[in-house]
Parts: sequence; C-alpha cells; structure tokens
Amino acid sequence: MPVEVIMPKVDMDMATGKLAVWHVAEGETVKKGAALFDIETDKAAMEVEAPATGRLHHILAAPGETVAVGKPVAFIYAEGEAVGTSPVAVEEPKVEAPAPAPVAAPVAVAAPAPAPAAVPDSADLRATPVARRLAREAGLALAAIAGTGPRGRIQRADVEAAVVRAKPALVAEAPVAPVATPAAPITWEPQPGDLNVTTRKGSGVPLVMIHGFAADSYGWRPLEDALPKDQALIRIDLPSHGRSPLKRVGGFAELAKLMVQVFDRVAEGPVHVLGHSLGGGLALALADIRPRQVRTLSLIAPAGLGPEIDGAALNGIARAASVDSLAPWLKRLTARPEGISHDFAKAAMLARLDPGLREAQQELGAVLFPDGVQAFDLTAALGRIAMPTLMIWGRDDHILPWRQALAAPGEVALHLLRGVGHVPQMEDPATVAALLGRHLRG
Amino acid sequence: MNAQVQITDAQVRELSYAEAIREAMAIALESDPAVVLMGEDIGTYGGAFQVTGDLIDRFGPDRVMDTPISELGGAGVAVGAALTGLKPIFEFQFSDFAALAMEQIVNQAAKLRYMLGGEAEVPVVFRMPSGSGTGAAAQHSQSFEAWFGHVPGLKVVQPSTPAEAKGLLLAALADPDPVVIFEHKLLYKMKGPVPAGHYTTPIGKAAVVRKGEHVTIVASAIMVHRALEAAAKLAAEGIEAEVIDLRTVRPLDRETIIASVKKTGKLLCAYEGVRTLGVGAEISALVAESEAFDYLDAPIQRLGGAEAPIPYNPDLERAAVPQTPDIERVARQLAKGEV
Repeated sequence: MPVEVIMPKVDMDMATGKLAVWHVAEGETVKKGAALFDIETDKAAMEVEAPATGRLHHILAAPGETVAVGKPVAFIYAEGEAVGTSPVAVEEPKVEAPAPAPVAAPVAVAAPAPAPAAVPDSADLRATPVARRLAREAGLALAAIAGTGPRGRIQRADVEAAVVRAKPALVAEAPVAPVATPAAPITWEPQPGDLNVTTRKGSGVPLVMIHGFAADSYGWRPLEDALPKDQALIRIDLPSHGRSPLKRVGGFAELAKLMVQVFDRVAEGPVHVLGHSLGGGLALALADIRPRQVRTLSLIAPAGLGPEIDGAALNGIARAASVDSLAPWLKRLTARPEGISHDFAKAAMLARLDPGLREAQQELGAVLFPDGVQAFDLTAALGRIAMPTLMIWGRDDHILPWRQALAAPGEVALHLLRGVGHVPQMEDPATVAALLGRHLRG
Repeated sequence: MNAQVQITDAQVRELSYAEAIREAMAIALESDPAVVLMGEDIGTYGGAFQVTGDLIDRFGPDRVMDTPISELGGAGVAVGAALTGLKPIFEFQFSDFAALAMEQIVNQAAKLRYMLGGEAEVPVVFRMPSGSGTGAAAQHSQSFEAWFGHVPGLKVVQPSTPAEAKGLLLAALADPDPVVIFEHKLLYKMKGPVPAGHYTTPIGKAAVVRKGEHVTIVASAIMVHRALEAAAKLAAEGIEAEVIDLRTVRPLDRETIIASVKKTGKLLCAYEGVRTLGVGAEISALVAESEAFDYLDAPIQRLGGAEAPIPYNPDLERAAVPQTPDIERVARQLAKGEV
C-alpha cells in the first residue's frame, strides 16, 4: 500500500495550502525526511518532508495549486511495490461538527476503497482527449506533465514520454536487481512544436523580451513589476528553455532564424525588443534582420560582442542536477553572491528538473560557446542597425566582461551600472526599468 | 490516377469516368426493360457532358428521352414513372439546376414511400454533374451534396473513380429508394480500370484508399485525388496519411471513419461544398460524438469551399475550393501536432 502524502496543517487556522514547488519529480526516489515539496500559506513558505522512503507517484497537485488540508497530493511507493492507478484517498478530511460532544476522539474510519478514481486534474489544463485518456489509464496526473502542443496543450506524445519516464520505477520492481544502479544516461529527444510565447496585455507598443542562456521568461518578473503596469509584454522562451519544446539547434544562425519565425508570428506591427545575454544577441540579430519591425532595441549584457565568456559557469548551470551544484554557479551571475539564497537556487533548480532540458541546454551551450568562447560575432550587426538602441551592462559582470560594450557605435545609449553583475534586471530592476521606460518613450 | 495499375484481369479495361457511367447505363438498359433515361439534350446531342453519348442510337428514343427545358417538369415525370414501375435515370445538365426541381426530389421522391406506408417505391436515379474547376462560374459550379444529404428518404453518393461511378450507378438502380449521384465534372475524362459486366459498389460504404497511421483524411469525389496527391508528398517526409474515399454522403459510413480516427487520432475533412454546414461538419460531429473522441490528439480540421459563390476568374475559382497544397499543409500540421 503506497503512503499517502497529504497537505499538512501547519497553522492553526489553515484550511488550504498552496503547493509552491515539488522537489522530487514523478517516478523519482525520495528518502523519508527529505524535502518533498514547498507550500505557501498566507504567512509563510515552508518545506514539507517526505513521510516515507520510496518512489513518488500520482502527483495530484501542480505547483501553484491550492489543496485542502488533509487532501492527498501524491503517493510514495516502496521499492518493488506495483504502481497501479491512482489510489483513492484513504480518508476524507473530516469536517468537525460544531461543538462536538466531549466523547472519545472520533475514530478515523477508513472508507472502503471504491473503484479507482480518475486522477483529478485542474480544469484549466489543455490536453487532447487521447492524452487525457492515456494519463488516466497510466495513473499519471496531467498537471505533472508538460504540454508541448500549441498553447501548451498536452498531446499524446507528452503523456507517452511521461509514461516512459515513469518506467524505471517499474523496472526497479524486478527482484533481480537489488543493487542500486546509477541512473542510465538519458539521451534527450527533440520535440515538435513552436516556441513558447506568453503575453501581458497592456496599451501601446508591446515590448518583446528574450531571456538569456539557461534562463526562462520567469526571470523577467522583477523587471516586469518595476515597469509601468500597462506596458504590454511579449515574452519568448528560447528553444529547450522554459516551456518551449526541446529542439536541436545547429548554431547561432539557426537559433536566430527560429526567433525570427516566432517574432513574425507574434509581432503584428513595429515593437520594442529587449534581450538579455544570449537573448540580447538574438534581439540584436532580430533587429538586424527585421529593422522595420523593431522600433527600439534594448540590450542587457548582450552576447556576441567579443570572444570572452565564462564558459565554466554556463556549463555548470546547464548541467547542474541539484540545488547544491547549481547554487555556486548562480552566485557567479550577480555582484552580490550573498543575495542568491537557497530558496532562489531551489526555485531555479525546479525549472530545470527535466533531465532532457538540461541535456539539450548543455548541447546548445557547446554549440554556441565551444571551448568557452562566443562562437558568433554580432559587432557588424550592431554597426548596421539604425533604430534607437539602449545598452545596459553591470560593471561587475563575471559572465560577459562589460568592456565588450565598447563595441557599440556612438549612437547607442550605454549605461554601465556599478555594483551590478550579469543580471541587472534582477539585481537592480528599478534602475533598469527607469532607463528602459525613458528609452521606450523615446 | 491509376495509370500504373497492373491490369491482369482481361475483363478489366481502362475507361473514362464518363464512359464507365455510359457503360453502366447501357448494361441497365439491356438487362432491365424498366430502365429509361431522361434529361435535357441527352438524346441526339448526347448530353451536356457527352455522358449518354450514342445510347439513343443503340436503344432508341423510347428508352433515351429528351425532356423539355423544365427541370421541375422532367423530374416530376421521372418520379411519377418510378412510382408506376419504371426505373428512370434522370440527368440534370448541371447539379445547380436541381434547385428548380427541389419539390419533386425533396417533397415527393424522398417522402412517398414513407407517406404511403411502404405501399409504393420510388426507384429513381438523379444524375448530377457537379463541382467547380471548369470556368462555368457561380450558377454552374456548385456542390450540393450536403443539401440532399440532409433529406431522409434520399440516398446520396459521390463516385471518385470510373469503377466507382459504374458500380454506384448500378447499385443506385438496384435500390428501391431515390438515389442522387453527384458526378464531378472534372473527373469525366479521368481514366481508370473498370471491370466489365454488371457489378455494384455498395451504397453506404466508404473505402480506405491509402493506409496510414498519422492522420486521417476523409475526402470525396475530386478531393480524394487531391488527398492522395498530398499523402504521396507527405510520405516523403515520413508522414503517413490514411485517405478515406467517402463514396456515400447519405447514409454515412460511420464505422470506417471512426475506426480510422481511433487509429490516427487526427482527422481532416476535405470537401468541395461550402465549409459551413457541409459534409465535413457532419463527419466532424459524428467523430466528436463517437467513441473515437477519446482517441483524438488534435482538434478536428475541415477544409471546405469558401463562403462565397464560385468565382468566374480561374485563379479565384481555384482559391475558392481546397487544393492539394491546402490538404498537404493542414495534414502536415495535424501530423506534427501543430494544430
């Protein structure tokens, strides 16, 4: 019988808890007492420990989902235990009658398990009928599966891949292999589909935002909060990043072509374009290729303006498979490493739990930055573009040296920020937003 | 289309679609004295599209009758003749002109067996040259399959090959109810293998004309050929499309369509009639309502005629109905999970 993992009551008056993040993915092993997931209440965020040792299955609540206290959010199976369809909650959360008679504590009666219930899924999930059926049959929660179809729709292939990922648990059930074997190397498969694009509605000319290597669109949050609330935004996730499908990319030119394709689809008229790091290089390439579609260009520590780059840090971030291996490299990104908290690293790692994504990013890094060198040169493009261009660089950038900014022609508005590292938009969003706001208003 | 088909049976010849229809009518006229042909200019002139051809010389004006230029009158005579024991094949010069005869087809032929408690049968066959692509403009190019498919009491077929054209016509004659045959005008000259002698192609049965596993394309008449062309191109990319030749619009072959969609999980309906409320709309709905729903891995797609009269300008005329590249594009998007 698998052990039920429930939403705990951590506060006197807590009725529901918001699941923030899972630290363990579907099908992975977990030790009793290890961090299993984080919850957010009105008052605090806290880590919830695994109640048992085994493999995690039937994740019922996705990050961001609110769950009633006492409701199951997943199940832990002992090694070798057969994983069936999702078990039914053993016990309904008791609703205490007002003013109960002071008798012996009511005995929790285990309800007789009715027919296995379908895994409940949140109503706003997009999934094709066949994906829903296959997930139901495999006992997988759709919420735990990333959709690669249009608008993030979960398709048959996504569920089949999730079933395959869950397979090692089943294989491990065989009694012939009692010795823990190291996880087999996973070779990632390219996925079909368009790059993930998200938008924030607003007025005026939208700002297209392209994030950097091994980052994703969530990284724009601090800057977004500092920008005017009505600034329309279009965020693009790079291939093999964020919620975009995993894609094999042969080089910078091919990557730029992919960006132009998605840009042509999302940009209806002239737009503002902003890019950071690798995304800055891509924004510059985009402005060079589609000059009439780009009203202003904003580059934060853009790639492509010199050979130097901290290849070790990029490689370290791309390959890190745990918070402990990720955090030291993340500290390189900023001028104030003490600002990279364990929680920050944990959140960053959660976006990188998919081994396929990590492998795809390592491969992309090797293609774009072979031997720790920027293999593409965009200084000529920077000389060609004519639209108003803003460049922001941190003077303490350890990834891309700020002196590469000097490749910019005189017309470019150059801002070198003291006490800021490679991610000015996170380290000093107010200043970046102010500079950007002035630039966009012309 | 089947130029490379190996013809081993001596009884199978290459005939055009029009010749195959003519052969079916000749077989019927020879074997059944109740069969008569009626229509405008089908006698001496040989028919607007030369389908009846020389049949008047072989069977005489009592069996091959020119009717006056009144579709309503001619169709009425055909329905009355069927009611009293003959098996008339009535040809409209263009299916568009059937609009003039709706009373006889829809209110009389389709209803009489039902209203007379099964005491009477109306074994009439209406032949309707149909579809666009001939530069005949808005009043001579329409596709009315859905109109007639909407009427209980009628059977509606759309042959896509010479062999089907012959087999479906002979099946229509054997059917006790009125059958409307939409013959696509662009197919009249298309050649294909046609078995000699009498045979029937079952009404109400679709045919899987190309097997595939990635996407189902349900097509009828000329769209079958465009779907097959598209499927051949997609095969070069590793996409295997299953092409279903619908053959019959009423009654629809639910089983064949549902079985295919359960296999591929993707459905594209390609039809020439106006897209809205068309044949593909009905097929989409029946799949969505069926057990195949749980197998769908993409929204059902329809390619149908434009919401406009068929234009006279040849480029616009082409643009108004689905062409091979359209089918190829949508089938590819479906197969790749991009829809």
